[in-house]
Order: sequence, then C-alpha cells, then structure tokens
Amino acid sequence: MRRVTLDGLADYARALFAACEANADAFPGKSRVELPGLAIEVFSDHGELATALAHGMASSTVANLATPARVFLAHPGIGSIPPPAQWGEALFHPNMFAERLEAVGLRGHYFHDLSYWQFYDVERRLGVQLMLSADGCPPWEFGAPLRCFLHWEYAARGMRLTHAGTLGKGGKGVLLAGAGGAGKSGTVASGLLAGLDSVGDDYVVVEFDGDRSLARPLFTTLKQDQAGFDRLGLARLLPDPGPLNWQGKHQFRVQDICPRGVADQLDIVALLVPRISGAPLSAITPLARKDALMALAPSGIAQMPGERESGFRFFGELTRRLPCYNLALGTRGEEIAETIAAFLDRGRP
Amino acid sequence: MGYSTIYAVANSDIVYETFDGDAVVLDLASGRYFGFSDSGSCVWEALIAQVPPASLVGRPCGDGLLSAADLDAFIARLTEYGLLLPATDAVSTALSPDLAQRLAAAREALKIDMHDELADLVMVDPIHDVDEPAGWPAVKQ
Repeated sequence: MRRVTLDGLADYARALFAACEANADAFPGKSRVELPGLAIEVFSDHGELATALAHGMASSTVANLATPARVFLAHPGIGSIPPPAQWGEALFHPNMFAERLEAVGLRGHYFHDLSYWQFYDVERRLGVQLMLSADGCPPWEFGAPLRCFLHWEYAARGMRLTHAGTLGKGGKGVLLAGAGGAGKSGTVASGLLAGLDSVGDDYVVVEFDGDRSLARPLFTTLKQDQAGFDRLGLARLLPDPGPLNWQGKHQFRVQDICPRGVADQLDIVALLVPRISGAPLSAITPLARKDALMALAPSGIAQMPGERESGFRFFGELTRRLPCYNLALGTRGEEIAETIAAFLDRGRP
Repeated sequence: MGYSTIYAVANSDIVYETFDGDAVVLDLASGRYFGFSDSGSCVWEALIAQVPPASLVGRPCGDGLLSAADLDAFIARLTEYGLLLPATDAVSTALSPDLAQRLAAAREALKIDMHDELADLVMVDPIHDVDEPAGWPAVKQ
C-alpha cells in the first residue's frame, strides 16, 4: 500500500491525473454537467454516485461550453487505476495539506476513513476523485456531487460556493444563512410550495456582478427530516419518498414539489438568518453585520477544504453589501412564505 | 504587560474583517472565530495598527476612562488566544482621531467572545481521535 506524505503529495496528485487520463476510455460512464459558467465532463462508473450526478445537478443555460473541465470519479476497478494510497505521516494537518498543494497550483482533500482522495489542477481544470469502489465516497457526497471541485473551480474565478438557502420572487431573492437545524431547508420548501422561487436550499454559487450579488443553482436536491416532511404535508406530493439519506432525512428534488424547478438566478437583496422561534408569527428584524457574518461564514468555510482566507474575505464582502436581518420563523410554513414574499415586495421588513 | 510594547497580528492565519466598527476575527489554523464588543473592536484595531497600549490608557471609553488593568487583561486574552504577539522592530503609530472618537462613544466593556463550535470541522484530523484510555493522540489503524 502506497503511503503519501506532504513531500510526496503533489507528485501523487500528478500520478493520479496521469493514470486517469491514460485510462479515460476505460471509464464505463461519461456525462456532461452544465452549471452556471461551467461545463464539466465527468468520467465515472455506474452506481449510486453516477445516478446522483444524473439527477441531482442543476442544469444551466449559462454554462461556458467552450472549455469544459474534466473530473474523473475513479476507483481501482477501472482499467489500471491504482488503489488509493494512505496518509503516511504521523500527523495530518489540513492547512499544511492545502498549502502544500496550493503552492503548485493544486487543490486537494483527503478523507482518511475511506482512503478517499480528491485533487484538482486549477490551471488544467482537471480533477480526480479516487475511491476504493464506485460509490466509495462519504455519504454526504450523494446529495451534492462534485462539491469540492465546484468549490475550487468557482473560487479560482472569484465566485463562491455558499452554504445557504435561497428564496425569491420576480428575480429578487434572499440568502438564508445559518448552521444546520436553523430552519433553512424547511423555509425553502415552504416558500417553494407557496409559489416562491429558489436556486437551492443548501449550496448555491454566488457571484458579484458590479453592485449586484447573484446566486445561481448547482444542485436540485432538497432535504427534510420527518417532522418537517409531515409539517409541510409533503406526503401528498411524495407518496413514496424512498429511503432516508445518511442524516435520516428525506431527500428529493425541487421539481418533485415545484414543477417549475429551480430558478436560473436570483439577484440577492438581503441576508436573512433564520431561527426557529416557536412564536405563531414570523418576524424580520435588523441584525448586526458582524452577527450575520458569523451565521454565514463558519459552516461554509468549515465544510470546504482549502480557500479559507478567500472564503472569509468573500463572505465578508457579501455581508458588507447586503442588509442583514434576523428571521424569527413562525410555526406555519405558509405564513413564513408570506412574510418573505412581503419582504421581497417591499424591499424591507 | 509592557505598555510601550507594540503588538502585531500573530501570524498569517489570523484574518479579520470590520463591519460598522465591529471586528470579527478568524484563526484559519484553529477554526476559531472571535467577536469583539464595540470598545474591544476599537482597541483591537488600534493595537494591530501598532498603537502602543500606553497611549490608550486613560483614553475616554464609554462613560469612563480606559484603565490599565482592563487593557492589560484584554491584551492578555488576545495573546492567550494566539491573535496578537509583541512586534519587534515595529514603529509605533498614533491613535487615529476616528478610532479615538469611536472608543469614546463605545457602549460596551472591553470584551472578546470566542466561538469554537466549528473548529472541529475546520480542523478535521482524520487520523487522530481523542481516546480517553489511551490518551491523545490515538493513531487510527
């Protein structure tokens, strides 16, 4: 079993790039993902991950079709792809890991428990995800495939994969920021059921365009725990919702509950930080930017390998651009959606 | 604390942003976030601008004057958290009129809040787990 150290990290990444390119014809599946400003050719095997790619990614009309990136989802069962190496040093320091790769134009991630490697060459726009088997990735990848590659590619362009939900109306929208359990997904699902638009409930890509902050979709999946599923009455739309995901949540697609699907883009006009209040009516009240940043940045930075300083700066700028509010969530989904719709109509609480 | 000491941000892992006078600091290495009170934000900005503590003591701060004891404790906390270090060969600067005005208008006592809820995620170390019987680190096999 090969063991990789910090000193050999870049060489290992390059060896995996070469192995995948040499075995490109041996990959059973080849698909194309078209996302905002980005087309990706994905080489994969068949399996649950390939299914998630086929059904869970947003389809964009603003993809850059001329220069697709390439990502190989590889494992040793494909051609002569080698088995994953293991980490070969006594200590693993994520910052040093990232810095060593960034010094040579690479990005990377290693998940020890599954011997799971991801590397991305920013200049060549070439990615490798090496797993022990076709679906040998961490369970959260099925809900957001290619997430790290999208994070690295968009960060290199000054855009940002942002951990936030969205709701909008008439092209204008709000970002819903906060840690897991704050009520983002339930708020997004409530809004969709009430006729509002969304570009995502968990991860979206945000770009500054002059004075505007634009959010666009990457994934079409929504998640709800059983309580939220029941509260929103989703069983009438999803009578056979399938197995629960790794978090014990129902996972489904936006178009399953909202026929128009995800919106192409929202012009973000405010940052809302939801919290479950227990009060019957929702309320939107001003929030200090410092506190809004603390709601927006930590989880987005923590969940993404590398690019941490640029992420902090980006989220700082985003927070500085937008008016920020607390959103105390009422107990009824319809009322929450009405409150947000009225906020979007008025442009203020 | 030497009041003539000049301080600087401890290292390049310490990044910060200021919003409407409120500072937020992130330690990229540890994943810990820090939020300051309004007076704490002013003093943080002054110290990293290389204003010596001696020139802050006795300044109007809210309803009173900034005391040496409070400043001493605050700087001790900043250095304990690894955010600030004494700077060698640094040239001192004067407190800007804007910062002096903001300090005088501050309403909260010198304070820094540390948030480390997500530090474990930032610092995910997949090799070592804390193992109470075996001690730390326990290397996964």
